[in-house]
Amino acid sequence: MSREIIIRTQNLGKIFRDPVEFHALKKINLEIYRGEFSAITGASGSGKSTLLYVLSTLDTDYTGKLFFEEEDLSQKSKNGLAELRNQKIGFVFQFHYLLHDFTVIENVMLPGLKLGLLSESQLRKKALEKLEILGLPDQAEKKAGKLSGGQQQRVAIARAMINDPVIIFGDEPTGNLDSVNTKNVFDVFKSLKEQFNQTILVVTHDQEFAGKTDRIIKLHDGEVVKD
Amino acid sequence: MKKKNPILRIALTHLFSKKRQTVVAMLGVTFGIAIFIFQGGLMTGFQKTFIDQTVNTTANIRIYNEPKKERPFLITEVYASGEWLVVRNQKPREELPGIKNASAIVAELEKNPEITGVSPFLSSQVIFKLGLAEVSGRVSGVDIERENLIFDVEENMVEGSISKLATMNNGIILGDGLAELLGAKMNDNILLISPMGVSVEVKVAGINHSGLTEVDKQRAYLSIRNTQKLLLADGSYITDINLKLKDFNKAEILARELEKKFGYRCLDWKEANVNVFGIFKIQNLITYLIIISILVVSGFGIFNILMMIIYEKLPDIAILKAVGYKDRDIMKIFLTESLIIGFTGGIFGLVLGFLLQQIIGNIEMDIKGFVSMKYLQFNNSPIFFVSAFIFGLVATALAGYFPARKASRVDAIDIIRAK
Ligand SMILES: Nc1ncnc2c1ncn2[C@@H]1O[C@H](COP(=O)(O)OP(=O)(O)O)[C@@H](O)[C@H]1O
Ligand SMILES: [Mg+2]
Repeated sequence: MSREIIIRTQNLGKIFRDPVEFHALKKINLEIYRGEFSAITGASGSGKSTLLYVLSTLDTDYTGKLFFEEEDLSQKSKNGLAELRNQKIGFVFQFHYLLHDFTVIENVMLPGLKLGLLSESQLRKKALEKLEILGLPDQAEKKAGKLSGGQQQRVAIARAMINDPVIIFGDEPTGNLDSVNTKNVFDVFKSLKEQFNQTILVVTHDQEFAGKTDRIIKLHDGEVVKD
Repeated sequence: MKKKNPILRIALTHLFSKKRQTVVAMLGVTFGIAIFIFQGGLMTGFQKTFIDQTVNTTANIRIYNEPKKERPFLITEVYASGEWLVVRNQKPREELPGIKNASAIVAELEKNPEITGVSPFLSSQVIFKLGLAEVSGRVSGVDIERENLIFDVEENMVEGSISKLATMNNGIILGDGLAELLGAKMNDNILLISPMGVSVEVKVAGINHSGLTEVDKQRAYLSIRNTQKLLLADGSYITDINLKLKDFNKAEILARELEKKFGYRCLDWKEANVNVFGIFKIQNLITYLIIISILVVSGFGIFNILMMIIYEKLPDIAILKAVGYKDRDIMKIFLTESLIIGFTGGIFGLVLGFLLQQIIGNIEMDIKGFVSMKYLQFNNSPIFFVSAFIFGLVATALAGYFPARKASRVDAIDIIRAK
């Protein structure tokens, strides 16, 4: 059975020029498959976040080639990439990055409102479903800023899921959480993968967390040293 | 389906999270627009009143024979050789600078479709005598029916009528101030004495109120023939021809044409009031400077609050971009915010400006300058209000544009990395 490739890189590189020229990523050749729950690990400063930002199309200043569902992303305009992120990519960052002036459910709905496929009430229903999956349906109408760190991170996951993305990216999604919440978030990812065949790529330096995923991609000084 | 425009919702949420600053920025716009409407309305209203009164009391175009400023010495023309020139203090013979072929010109002018009224005219200083009363003033020698086409004489009659003057051969219509000074009533006999020493007896055929106090105190209408008699002039003597046009804004162009055609000076109403229009220009300039500087200040208020929101919401902008909002969506969010401020502030400004106009416009002032009015006249035409509002929105959009553009150019990855 040939597996479907979601992301593929060819000699992907990243050079920072400020303050000095620095090769943060060197000749990365990777393939991420549908339904994979993988972790990028490595020491601090090894280039994990840098790689994730490039793969998730936020950072477009790279060398080499990046394909998303076999489409060459260097051909895509800025707006085209924004649309791609909106439809096919979900994000969970270390710092939760919720919009604090909005309620929990509004935060979850934001990418869906942009996509504009569902009516307001349909979208609201869907957002509630996602919040239920994450065990937060009773928090829906609270202001996002009022929730605890662990809760906020689960809201961020719900938001990442709202448009049924092809892949969810996480940058240290548990970096700020205690062990209970960390386990909680891990379990959520795990069940997403198992129930919905959701593709997930998570940066973490938490060895225990990484150890429980399907695949570990280890970085060292901007190079993949173990896959 | 309920509204699902996230842009508007985000914009409103931002503004509600900064209620106090938002209100201050709105008040800035409100005052800007209110002052626009008050100050600008006062200026344009006043100028319109003036123009209306002027158009009603001065001819659109006046044709006359402009006396040459410097007369050449007659003797140098005759003895061109230049010898023996000892004549000084040359005194010109009393010469009346009339329009030579007036009736032909009048006939010609009446054929012009742009011209709706043609009134030949001459005037003389006179002393009005009635019993013991003696008042000096002027008589305007006119064909009263033609004059009426230009200045609405009939409409301003207090007593009597213009047709009476037209049918009597020695009638006179007095200004109401003049009648009062003389103690004259309808059908009284008045003696007119001209500087030439000619006297003519006339009968009051009507009393007229033009509204210009100075004019009403010293002017009377007489027939052309009687005025010519007072001036010892022959029956073809006319000094001026006054014109009324279909469109008084075309006066200037037409005046130049007629000047070329007939060789007489043709003064249009704008030129006749050139000093006043010069003052208007300065007034307008000052008014617009005031209005613009106020709107600039309001603009800065908006600029300020937007920059503040943007700076504070950089993480929000980054996350919106990460989840697929485009640069132009971000731009729209902040432009929407500035327009909400401008729109709301502008509406209140319209109301405040209107109220100011109503309040000040109802205070009795009794102004007597070159325009007399009892109340300040404001321009309160809908077009003026709409343009004030649009002006405010444009200023607001401009003030919002630069912060909005800055926000749209924020690089999400820089902000996410920085955390
Ligand atoms: N904006 C930047 N400018 C210059 N160097 C950077 C920048 N961001 C990251 N780096 C460098 O790139 C390397 C990789 O960074 P990062 O991807 O954040 O590491 P990790 O996430 O694995 O801790 C580090 O050495 C870091 O100093
Ligand atoms: Mg990192």
